[in-house]
Amino acid sequence: MAAFLRLVVFGFLILSVIYVIVSFWSRAVRRRKLEQEWNDTGRPGDKETYMTEGMEQYDRSLRRKLILLIYVVPVVVVGTIIYVTNFM
Amino acid sequence: MVYVKWVFWGLFWLIVAGFLHYSLPQRDIVRIVNTYEERQDVTGWTKIFWAASDQSQERLQSWDVQFIQAIEPDGDPMVYRNEDTGWGWPPYFKFDTANLYTDASDSTSTKDAPEWYAVTHYGWRNEFLSIFPNAVGIKQVSGPDARLIPWFNIIVLTILAAFAWGIWARWRRFRRNKIEPKIDEWTDGWE
Repeated sequence: MAAFLRLVVFGFLILSVIYVIVSFWSRAVRRRKLEQEWNDTGRPGDKETYMTEGMEQYDRSLRRKLILLIYVVPVVVVGTIIYVTNFM
Repeated sequence: MVYVKWVFWGLFWLIVAGFLHYSLPQRDIVRIVNTYEERQDVTGWTKIFWAASDQSQERLQSWDVQFIQAIEPDGDPMVYRNEDTGWGWPPYFKFDTANLYTDASDSTSTKDAPEWYAVTHYGWRNEFLSIFPNAVGIKQVSGPDARLIPWFNIIVLTILAAFAWGIWARWRRFRRNKIEPKIDEWTDGWE
């Protein structure tokens, strides 16, 4: 039981660190692309507004929610390994 | 200085390769001849090659371990230990040691009427250190020449390589764009 708790706690901590890093990285990439887009489309209107709207769109996007897979995939993998090792 | 660098990277890759070779599953085709259980005195650094939990390793210096004795097609002996890995490392999540022991006992065969089994295992056999690979599963195969394709290892190694390459490429770009200009700036006019 102690080993299980250790796995869950440390696994959660490590995955959270990865999640935070990937979220920040993904936001930075999105921001850079928005800036690029703003420049390429002939600088429509205020840059600040353009960026804010673009990032709000990103916040609602599926792409951002897909980062949650960082938590889902390892759990599924562990479940699969348990099944294959013990019940197949 | 160049040699120091070589030795460092040589050791680094040796450790990585050794770690993967120890942890990833391998399959041997063998004939199982017997199973037994023996008390093992486990002391010193070779403790890391045994799977008993950290708590019991702290308390105990010896414990009972199940073994599976087998003969390889070329006649060489091979002995596997049979231990739960539980929730620990390496992540096989093996809890069915007793079942595997039963299966292995049911799978013994003689030289005259051999039955061949693929034993999935991880770990190393070393006579000097008295360490044994841990059997994870057994499955009957058609014969000693049965062809086994290690799909699991192919997938895992490909994913690992992709991750390593992705991080490496990003690190190189980061160094080129952020660190090297800084160093150039600091060392400007040093000639």
